[in-house]
Amino acid sequence: MGQILTGLNRRLLVSLALAALCAAGCRSDSTSRSTAGLQGAVPRGGELLVSVRSEPRSFNRHAARDTTTDLVSKLTQGSLIRVNQVTQAVEPWLAESWTTAADGRSVTLHLARDVSFSDGHPFTAGDVLFAFEAAYDEKSGSALADVVQAGGKKLVVTATDPLTVVVTFPSPFAPGIRILNDLPILPRHKLEGALKAGTFRKSWGLDTPLSEIVGLGPFLVSEYVPGQRVVFARNPRYFAKAPDGGALPYLDRLVVEIIPDQSAELLRLESGQLDMMTSEIAPDAYAPLKRAADQGRVRLLDLGVSRNADGLWFNLKPGALGGDPRAAWLQRDELRRAISMAVDRKLFADTVFFGAGVPVYGPETPADKVWYWPGLPQTPHDTAAAKQLLASIGLTDHGRDGLLDDPQNRPVRFTLLTQKGRPNLERGAAVIRDELKKIGVTVDVVALDSGAVIDQLLHARYEAIYFNADKTDLDPGTNPDFWFSFGSAHVWNLEQRAPATPWERQIDALMTRQIASTDEAERQSLYADVQKIFFEHAPIVYFVAPRIYVAHSVRVTNLTPSEYRPQLLWRPDTVAVAR
Amino acid sequence: MTRGLGVVLVTLALLAAVAAPMVAPNPVDAHFAGLLNAPPTIVRMAGEDHAWHAPFIYRWRLVSQLEQQYEEDRSAPTALAWFSGGRLVGSPDQAAPLLLLGTDSYGRDVFTRLLFGARTSLGLAVTAALGAMLAGAVLGGLAGFAGGMTDDVVMRATDFVMVLPAIYVALALRSVLPLVLTAPQVFALLAAIFAVVGAPFVARGVRAIVRSERQLDYARAAQALGASDLRLLIRHLLPAAGGFIAVQMTLLIPAFIIGEATLSYVGLGFPDPVASWGTMLHDASSNIRVFADFPWLLSPAAAMFLVVLGVNLVLQNASRGVKSIL
Amino acid sequence: MIRYAARRLAFALFLVIAVSSASLLLSRLAPGDFVTESLGARASRQAIEQQRARFGLNRSFGAQYRDWLASVARLDFGYSMLYDRPVRDLIPERAANTAILALTALVCATLVGVPLGIVSGSRRGGLLSAAIRTASVVLLSMPPLLTSLFLVFAAARTGWLPIAGMRSATVPAGGGFMDLIRHLVVPAAAIALPLAAMLERLQAQAMAEVIAEPFVLAAVARGVPRSRIVWHGALKAALRPVAAVYGLIIGSLLSGSFAVEVITAWPGLGSLMLQALRTRDVYLVAGCAGAGALFLACGTLVSDLALAAIDPRTSDARAEAA
Repeated sequence: MGQILTGLNRRLLVSLALAALCAAGCRSDSTSRSTAGLQGAVPRGGELLVSVRSEPRSFNRHAARDTTTDLVSKLTQGSLIRVNQVTQAVEPWLAESWTTAADGRSVTLHLARDVSFSDGHPFTAGDVLFAFEAAYDEKSGSALADVVQAGGKKLVVTATDPLTVVVTFPSPFAPGIRILNDLPILPRHKLEGALKAGTFRKSWGLDTPLSEIVGLGPFLVSEYVPGQRVVFARNPRYFAKAPDGGALPYLDRLVVEIIPDQSAELLRLESGQLDMMTSEIAPDAYAPLKRAADQGRVRLLDLGVSRNADGLWFNLKPGALGGDPRAAWLQRDELRRAISMAVDRKLFADTVFFGAGVPVYGPETPADKVWYWPGLPQTPHDTAAAKQLLASIGLTDHGRDGLLDDPQNRPVRFTLLTQKGRPNLERGAAVIRDELKKIGVTVDVVALDSGAVIDQLLHARYEAIYFNADKTDLDPGTNPDFWFSFGSAHVWNLEQRAPATPWERQIDALMTRQIASTDEAERQSLYADVQKIFFEHAPIVYFVAPRIYVAHSVRVTNLTPSEYRPQLLWRPDTVAVAR
Repeated sequence: MTRGLGVVLVTLALLAAVAAPMVAPNPVDAHFAGLLNAPPTIVRMAGEDHAWHAPFIYRWRLVSQLEQQYEEDRSAPTALAWFSGGRLVGSPDQAAPLLLLGTDSYGRDVFTRLLFGARTSLGLAVTAALGAMLAGAVLGGLAGFAGGMTDDVVMRATDFVMVLPAIYVALALRSVLPLVLTAPQVFALLAAIFAVVGAPFVARGVRAIVRSERQLDYARAAQALGASDLRLLIRHLLPAAGGFIAVQMTLLIPAFIIGEATLSYVGLGFPDPVASWGTMLHDASSNIRVFADFPWLLSPAAAMFLVVLGVNLVLQNASRGVKSIL
Repeated sequence: MIRYAARRLAFALFLVIAVSSASLLLSRLAPGDFVTESLGARASRQAIEQQRARFGLNRSFGAQYRDWLASVARLDFGYSMLYDRPVRDLIPERAANTAILALTALVCATLVGVPLGIVSGSRRGGLLSAAIRTASVVLLSMPPLLTSLFLVFAAARTGWLPIAGMRSATVPAGGGFMDLIRHLVVPAAAIALPLAAMLERLQAQAMAEVIAEPFVLAAVARGVPRSRIVWHGALKAALRPVAAVYGLIIGSLLSGSFAVEVITAWPGLGSLMLQALRTRDVYLVAGCAGAGALFLACGTLVSDLALAAIDPRTSDARAEAA
């Protein structure tokens, strides 16, 4: 593979080394180590019992984007490449090797030979083209359409022979083929008719006969019991081989149980009726699992600091607050910077995550060794300075009652929306409210269900929100929807026609260059500039990133844990259980 | 004797609710940041020196933050302060608060919130239950007495209310109401919702009783003697349903206390720092450690049990003055 | 009698449609819809509009409602957006699962609650009746969420029973039926315990009242044995209030219990409805609400018939015939 690594992939080697260092460093805590890289023969056969909170919505990843549907797709389908979630390197999968053209805009992928779908039908470049057709099909409106785009434009994909595919990016695109990680290669022979007929999104619904659902992935769906479980059996035709040349996957069966309640899920894991969950454990579940781990019933893994932190942002859309006179100060940078100073991040971590979190001051957390800018200033916890900053925009305590007022003598008060039923968000919002009370700012926390929060967000009918703005992938180039002012995840002011502020225009320009550049050092320095601007204007105020813990039963071996979901199952073909 | 116990329990609950600001050892909105899920402080008289002292407590020292384990810090006893700052009893030291029932996951004093929660929860449940009784008795009485068309309309309307998913009604209400509601507004809203939701259950039973009582000799006699319909209904038929209504009351009160948490979940809850038993229990039940490690978080259930038992004892003996004859 | 039954059935049909319609309307009033919920905060406006158009959510409520009513007339209750399947296909399976749970719980609760109510109602002041009453009040004061959680917790700690689900992934020795029974214990107990307490309270009250009636006093005076009075004479009259609510209980149990089904991962109607509510899958909500309405309408009918059988004076059927 070494000889085909071109300039585009060089930075991935760098990140590989760095992330490996981090992985080694992060996991040296008191909690027991994983059995990753177990010496000796990996046991074959057996059954793994995992849990999810909700049912899959379809067997077709193009039809839904929820985590369970994604998990089912990861188990049953293959993709051209696989991003190693531990090292962040792009690894070959259905594509054995690839070469990048000199201009960096097109990549020639060589497909693995003698690969067939689980029904025996051979896999060719035609299936790859079909996967892109499905993603770009206007009629079906695929959930993956925005995943396989570069700079908002489609890729051009051609097949030069049955085993060679050329992917051409519309413009120089630094993240490159890593975006293909999320595109399942579907069987053209099964689904082409549906795509042509315009019923593609409806095909492979949950009522499909299971024999119709074929794939290139390590597992087959062997049983689906609505509301209870999806059972997967090993795909005997799975093409990838173990390091010892033996067949993969190691497991014979993988059972995904649907357990809607978190407590029931935990109790099952703790009492040995479950091998693992597909999400990290909540902070208050740490103690019982630690006890179970001390008694040797489960293994508890510390996967280090999360790369995502929840954030607070104000509605910065010009005119969104109507005639509300508070708009004069609600949309000011100073207010957000004052909030960042007023909230004690240590107290925040102690209250929300029981101490298992680190302070965060910008969009990247220190966990990201490649993209985090170490020069990022750390906002001190300083209530006096926060008050001074607020006074500079006319918010002072007129009535000498400990509460701030604006120049028109109205109290400084705003509504903070958050999601109901998410303890980390609800607790975080409560800490923000209590901390701001200390500098005389009154916050009314309103917790609504997620649909209602998103609705208010999309219609820009809110004052402030405390919510998650999770990134989908590490490379900032894969998150244009967040960074660009026209982006659909540019949450504080969505989908702007033209940048509303000079600094957003600046970020747009920097990110355009950052995505197009293939020079690793330049990309990092451009992204550092973006983080600097982000820090100065603080469109989103971040407080604390939690540590991620996962637990699994002691019989599970050969895991490669990563702090991204699904932490323990992102490479399901190599997971094994001791007999 | 049982009646006496009931009266005592109900009186105690009312007293706790009324006197909450005086009895509570801590302010209702106090958060003790270093004391999340801390166990109850033990009030001691016997010191390390084996001598007797005025009641004092030891502060909790954090042993494991992530696991929320505490141990007593025996080095510094804090004597309790009586009748200071308008409180019956409290701790003079902010760092060593008196936590009679421990703290919740936000570090708030459970005992204090239990007292203040009694105001919210009992006030709401009793108001709503009375409203449901009144509406249910009137509708059920009317339906049972008048029969025919009236009966049909009323009973089918109650069926409709009973099957309508209340969560949806609450969600829809949430969307048409302003985002920030004051505590009195929430109180009125919840009381009204509960009264409407509870009334059908009362109405059905009352209707059945009134309908059958009406056929009894005494009712016919009263009618023959020229009693007006209204008088017959109010003086003779509805009292016959008294026992049923009393039992319904004892069923509805706990249901409403619990139901408040459900509506709070869809956004129709009391704003902080207003405490309520339903929400306290709801928060407790989201944590599996509650049974093994933090049993004090279940104290609202215990309080609810005592109140419901009290109401049961009082109402049961009040209804119809039944004597045991066997 | 036939006319009466026909009228009640017609009303049941009306109730089902009215409740489903109201659910549909309320869902439109609530903020957010299936598309905002399923696409999440990152979706582009274009993608949202496209999806809304796909599911017909961009139409006015009037148009949406008209189409829905027209399809209901053909016994097609719309399409679940969440599962991309007809609502009609989803509900029966879940309803059957709920029925297994509900009927088990109901039978247990009745067998426990009613006899205990008779005992505690017929002998006031005794230690036994005080104990029964106390137990009932404890159970009534526990939120269903907490009761279920406690039972699940106990099952996990003792290791005697499976914690969640309806059937094991691999059918163990002893066959599928025993496996189902083992899975039933926790959720059925979570439903049956408070229900038994409620029945006990109602039955005790009714019993106490009947025993105070002159006809019982007369029987005592005639020297009829106490047990005979309680179990024969008074019982029949005292079943009235329980019968009045029994139908309602059946109806509401069959519509599923949110808390119990979610915590014990029982794949019933309650958890389906909760999922539909959460994801704003409006047609599925309307379908579930309609199914609930149907069960309740049947329940009230059963209740009324039971009442008529116990106490012919209240019979609607007779009144109709007269």
